[in-house]
Amino acid sequence: MGSRIRENVKHFFECFCEVVPPTDQNEPWIIQQYPDKYKDQEVLKSVPKFAYPYKFQNDVIQHYSFVLTDLESKWTFGFCRHDPKSETAIVVLSYLPWHQGFYKFLDTTAVLMHSSRSEDLREFLTAVYNAKIAEPGRKFIVPINRGESNFSVDVPRPFQLPSIPENRNLTEYFNAVDTHTMSVIFASMLFERRIIFTSKKLKRLSACVQSANDIIYPMIWQHIFIPVLPMSLIDYLLAPMPFLIGVPEEVFKQVRRSEIGDVVILDTDANTVETPFDDLNSLPQEVVTSLRKQLKNKQLGDGVSRAFLRALVQLIGGYRDALKFQPGQKVTFDEERFIETRPPSLQPFLREMLHLQIFQQFIEERLMMLNTGQGFSDEFEFEIEGYSAKSGSKLKQQYKEWTTTMKKEGTAFFKSVKDKANPAMKSAVKTVKDGGKGVKSAYKGLRSKLKDNQGPHPLENGLERGDKHRSAPNSPTGKRRTIAGFSAPVATYRKDAALALKSSAMQRSYSPLSPSSQPMSPDVIESPRSGSPIDIPQIDLMNEMEDLLQLRLETPPVDRSLKPVRSLENFKNTSPLNSPDRWALSRASAPIASSPNRFFLQNLGHSQETQNLLQSPDDVFLSPPSVPPRNLAKEVGRDLFSSTPFVVGGGHSENGDPLFFVANQHSVDIVKLSPPTHSPRRKHNQETEDLIRLDSASDIDDFDPLKSKSSNDKTKLPLTISNPLYTYENTGAKQNGGVSNQNFQQQNRDTRNDQDLLQEYGLNFNFSSVQNQNSFDPFGTSSKVNMKSQWTKFE
Amino acid sequence: MKMARDYDHLFKLLIIGDSGVGKSSLLLRFSDNTFTGSYITTIGVDFKIKTVNVNGQKVKLQIWDTAGQERFRTITSTYYRGTHGVIVVYDVTNGESFANVKRWLHEIEQNCDLVNKVLVGNKNDTPDRKVVLTEDAQRFADTMNIKLFETSAKDNINVEEMFLAITKLVLRSKLEMQERQNVTQNDTVNLRKTNKQGKKKTCC
Repeated sequence: MGSRIRENVKHFFECFCEVVPPTDQNEPWIIQQYPDKYKDQEVLKSVPKFAYPYKFQNDVIQHYSFVLTDLESKWTFGFCRHDPKSETAIVVLSYLPWHQGFYKFLDTTAVLMHSSRSEDLREFLTAVYNAKIAEPGRKFIVPINRGESNFSVDVPRPFQLPSIPENRNLTEYFNAVDTHTMSVIFASMLFERRIIFTSKKLKRLSACVQSANDIIYPMIWQHIFIPVLPMSLIDYLLAPMPFLIGVPEEVFKQVRRSEIGDVVILDTDANTVETPFDDLNSLPQEVVTSLRKQLKNKQLGDGVSRAFLRALVQLIGGYRDALKFQPGQKVTFDEERFIETRPPSLQPFLREMLHLQIFQQFIEERLMMLNTGQGFSDEFEFEIEGYSAKSGSKLKQQYKEWTTTMKKEGTAFFKSVKDKANPAMKSAVKTVKDGGKGVKSAYKGLRSKLKDNQGPHPLENGLERGDKHRSAPNSPTGKRRTIAGFSAPVATYRKDAALALKSSAMQRSYSPLSPSSQPMSPDVIESPRSGSPIDIPQIDLMNEMEDLLQLRLETPPVDRSLKPVRSLENFKNTSPLNSPDRWALSRASAPIASSPNRFFLQNLGHSQETQNLLQSPDDVFLSPPSVPPRNLAKEVGRDLFSSTPFVVGGGHSENGDPLFFVANQHSVDIVKLSPPTHSPRRKHNQETEDLIRLDSASDIDDFDPLKSKSSNDKTKLPLTISNPLYTYENTGAKQNGGVSNQNFQQQNRDTRNDQDLLQEYGLNFNFSSVQNQNSFDPFGTSSKVNMKSQWTKFE
Repeated sequence: MKMARDYDHLFKLLIIGDSGVGKSSLLLRFSDNTFTGSYITTIGVDFKIKTVNVNGQKVKLQIWDTAGQERFRTITSTYYRGTHGVIVVYDVTNGESFANVKRWLHEIEQNCDLVNKVLVGNKNDTPDRKVVLTEDAQRFADTMNIKLFETSAKDNINVEEMFLAITKLVLRSKLEMQERQNVTQNDTVNLRKTNKQGKKKTCC
């Protein structure tokens, strides 16, 4: 159908690769990959090209994504992490468009690559690869560091609008260009133009291209879609058919403009659009007017997404009036009727829309949803109800009758419904049954994996075998983690690389424990204060924090004009440690006081800010390799938090004693705690604490305040219907998954319940706005405006 | 740049049809730069280049292909906009692929009757497996007023002829357009300008 996102995805990722940058003589190449069984040579050949689309200098940690399109025109997402301190780039390929989740994954991986324990990386990759993907709205959790901490990712719910600042891509797009520019691009996409985005920054480039596609939801770009175009593929800009291509500025410089013909060019750095067309003004004026108004009103949250969604509701929501229900036959769409039932002012444009591939696919998809019994069940349909409530009920009655007939007849239709109802879940269940590689096995912990690895595994890393018994965890520090099976060539390469590359910073990444320690580097931390060897990951905290600061200053989550230097004090307040209940201490020790930094806490509730940080590019910060147990945190928390320094991570010494990294503006210290009263080595299946998790529950089943709802309503929906929906957000009522018959009161009440629950968990993302809720404006215009003003106040 | 140009005309053509009908093979068979890799499986689009000689004029052809076209019930006119000609391919051993291109051609007919096109039945090399009869295809081609070619990329049958035919069609259209331009504007021939005109003409 219209969706270019794959369904029935079995693995969180398909392949993880480490890529060596190009040199004067050599093209970039993959130095190691996991799993080795991934054999798509065409893709593997392409990955280096996209990981290094051109030769570039990288000063900050940069995440971006690229997209590969297969023969069925389905997308494979490549998420890429460049670290100025690392010689190589890491890339993960996945069918899932979960940008935030994969950037977090890459950050965790990057940490593990420097882990002192050589098996860590492979174990982590294996565990994640084999873990069953959680249901939408749940958390995908995989234990890391032998179960001492968890890697967790929120599985996006279907039908969720990208939201600012939670959705990184949209936030980046919104920061880079203004809403007028977004509207121009939106219009050009509705004319299926050839569209080029340019930027100096890959991160911005890919985010903007991805967001531009998100914004035309419920439609999906059906044409050429290349968020980052490598230099070697520059000729593809000559394509005569519609495209949406992100062209790095360095690549764009090489383009001979006279050759590429009529294109719309958005410079995302300068916020300028160059276009031979007048597409925005060619949209029906009433649509443009209300779009402008909406965009002015609300921008935070899903305000921007919703504004565009409403514009599309205005344009094509009337497709419902053109549906034909005939008992015993599939639902069909009558184009003429579609035009005739629209206001005359819209008709000329709608006639054009019939010839859009994106519109055709939209109709196909809606018909598919109806014919498979999914009904009117997404955010778009919900918004239509708000727009024209009257037609909705009649239509639903028709659909209900039609469905009843179909059921009675017991035709093949509804057999296919069952099959299609939730293929993702079914296959997931099947995976567990068949392969036994689901959550359970993942939860068995990494020790069993270890055993597996020690077995007669063909990919066994022979070189590392001697280190398997981890009696001296501080020893294998000089060489970095390698994936089994590749260790020999890697090792060779490392030596060569170390010789070839003079940069001391780079070399340090390969021997992070080198004695030439500098102040404020992790080497300082390594010097054993406690006298005992410490098994902590070699994370360069100070540098990570600098990167983090830099990133945040460079691209503040919402207000592009945000310029003041934010001290670390800000991060203390916005630290994920503030997630209430997570650490009981955080609430008490980070009082909501009069500090101006706390504006967000006062206005939105702190978890909103927490989430903001979670979704921001600084996820490194939030994925400490291991975290002390909760009870210890309670014991010592006050001391740590009552002073200016704050905890940025945790770990364990060799004998299991918890350690904290305590950072202040100038240094990172390590604080060792007295041994806990119970054994620090926990059972495999015991849930471990994780700084980065938003929820406080120790069991995933405890969490998910929306659970009952989702189990009733969501289970019938496939993981991905059409739109990549990334954000983690509480919009229970607005999810409207299959609950089209509920009235708004009901939904509001549900929202309230959800909100209460969420608040109880400290997750009141938009509690304040709910109070201003009205039927068609679930987010409350006024509160949004307030929020915006609060943001600007921060200047 | 003009000096460096090694052709008199540059045409962009599209090749459409279900996957598996042999579009790539046709392109490969036709193309003269076999060393370039294929990107259809990684970015969903590919093109091949060939320069041909028609009536003493050098014509450079870019032939473009995109992935996953069979997912479209119709291929809408925006897809053809900006191209000079369309090569519509089905597999003579696959009835469904023929049904699809029939539907697509109707759509093109409705919306961009000016675009040049040819109908191609590929894999015409194993008679016992042939299910789309030449007569049926020819009848359909006649009603659509387009040329039919039955080809085999594998055995290199009729491929060159087919590409030459569409090139001639496109070139003729362009020259006719120029003529009209010259008559109406009584202007000297400006290659750049006419090129643009030709493009505008092609579709919608």
